[in-house]
Amino acid sequence: MTENRRYFDEIELHEEYESPGRTVTEADIVMFAGLSGDYNVLHTDAEFMKKTMFGERIAHGLLCLAIQSGLFTRATAPYATLGFGGLRWKFKAPVKIGDTIRLRAKVVDKKDLEPDRGLITLDRTILNQRDEVVQQGQTDLIVQKRP
Amino acid sequence: MTSATYFEDVVVDQMKDTPAITVTQAHVEMYEGLTREMSVGAGEIPGVLPLCMAIGLGWRVKDPPMAVQAFVALDWKIVKPLRVGDTMRTTSRIVSKRPMRDGGLIVDERTILDQHGEVVQQGRFTFLVAKRQKEASA
Repeated sequence: MTENRRYFDEIELHEEYESPGRTVTEADIVMFAGLSGDYNVLHTDAEFMKKTMFGERIAHGLLCLAIQSGLFTRATAPYATLGFGGLRWKFKAPVKIGDTIRLRAKVVDKKDLEPDRGLITLDRTILNQRDEVVQQGQTDLIVQKRP
Repeated sequence: MTSATYFEDVVVDQMKDTPAITVTQAHVEMYEGLTREMSVGAGEIPGVLPLCMAIGLGWRVKDPPMAVQAFVALDWKIVKPLRVGDTMRTTSRIVSKRPMRDGGLIVDERTILDQHGEVVQQGRFTFLVAKRQKEASA
């Protein structure tokens, strides 16, 4: 499992990846509400949501952020990641039950941190089945250098 | 109409502390099954999981929940990893509010602390919050 991990040195600037799609289901939203404790009406009250601009329950923004994190691992060979540094993120459009999202990612910066590690910054865009951008931002990953 | 904290009611610089929650192996396994984001090493918690749980803790304060219409933006830093068995809590402070035509934008700075009071993750959430409806306040 660890043999094909890619080290900081091997990851090239401007590499691009696209993940498979993943349909966001009602079960995903219910499970995420239970796991996170976020039972806000936006995600859990179908009747209330009928009267809002969305017209129905929407997925938690952070659920889709977490799902894209998993989609990244299916988009490319795993990085030799030591940790997650942070993110700058915009939630642009709602994801509704039955929408299918996928991730497009691009390496936009590589920074030396320490003799054994560096920082990889990726631009990430989550698209839905109509190719609309639903979330977009940058993430920083701390990646091990080749020992 | 359930009671809520509307844009007009949000006070800049107001601080809130949440209850704490112990992050267990069960949380990690549910999270990994749901998202397929994997932890980096044994006993470590995937970086986005504490952030997700921080939002849930934020609803467990005494005050009526903010009438959030949408989550707009997030600027977040992971300061140090959290491990299975650690107990996290959050503090929040309202940094700014800006009225819009419908509702307004609230910037909420949140910090996740561990059981030793050390900062684990920190950043800013931007929410679109509803204004009070005239009929609701009558």
